[in-house]
Amino acid sequence: MTSPVLAVPRPVRELAHDEGSGAWTAGFTVEVTADEPVFAGHYPDFPIFPGVCVMECVRRAAESARPPLTEGLRLAAVESTRFTAAVHPGDELTVEVTWSPRGEGWRCAAKVATANGRTASVRLRYAPEATAC
Amino acid sequence: MLTPAEVRATLPHRYPMLLVDRVLDLTEDRIRAVKAVTLNEPWYARLGEHPAPDELAYPDFLLIESWTQTAGILAKRLAGGAADGQVMLFGSMSGIEFHRRAFPGDTVEHHARLQRAVDDTMIFEGESTVGGEPLMTMGGITMAFRPGEALAPPSS
Repeated sequence: MTSPVLAVPRPVRELAHDEGSGAWTAGFTVEVTADEPVFAGHYPDFPIFPGVCVMECVRRAAESARPPLTEGLRLAAVESTRFTAAVHPGDELTVEVTWSPRGEGWRCAAKVATANGRTASVRLRYAPEATAC
Repeated sequence: MLTPAEVRATLPHRYPMLLVDRVLDLTEDRIRAVKAVTLNEPWYARLGEHPAPDELAYPDFLLIESWTQTAGILAKRLAGGAADGQVMLFGSMSGIEFHRRAFPGDTVEHHARLQRAVDDTMIFEGESTVGGEPLMTMGGITMAFRPGEALAPPSS
């Protein structure tokens, strides 16, 4: 899929499995530079990194380190997301991702922060591709 | 009901993030608007010479942005003069489901309704369709108008 975000998430903590909970966790950073094309229009003279682009950073980070058995799954839902602070050009995002099995699919929960603290939390759901009828 | 010029005058977003083309209906508590997806959008600029068909799917989260801009037009109408000089902030979203993908050539139709308003916060819900087929369900999105300083970078 194409992406509105240029920045590539950089892994800082490898995907690790927690035997007790069955969850997999990984850590990333994302440099949000002034070169991101969305800043030209969001907004002119008042650049704010759009919330949906923060979500896109989470998605790209999560999909770059998928647990086993999640390869064929695709994004099916945004269960919830909450934005608590704006992201500006020059901010570095830290993204902590937790994948947990949920029924036929997986939940992917992420906490996103900048140097100034928490900026967003996101819960995505991945599911098997619906069979065409 | 709102021409492209009126949409542009209502929303602060600009290229490449102005993702509503025209408003078809706008009443006191609901709105219907369209967004045409084209191959000329910048998200497709970096594709290779022979992309797989799936790679041309419109970015899912930009569909959410396009829907929220539609709801934002309704919110601005509901807020009236109280919104002047303020910025629209989406605080949280829940229950967003993707049913299929949109591709260049598709006209996405967004439907947004005011679910409820509490103090200065509004909650919207709705769905998006392509050719009458369900594309996306929007469970709930909270929105509020705040002074622009609320979004300014912390002074260092």
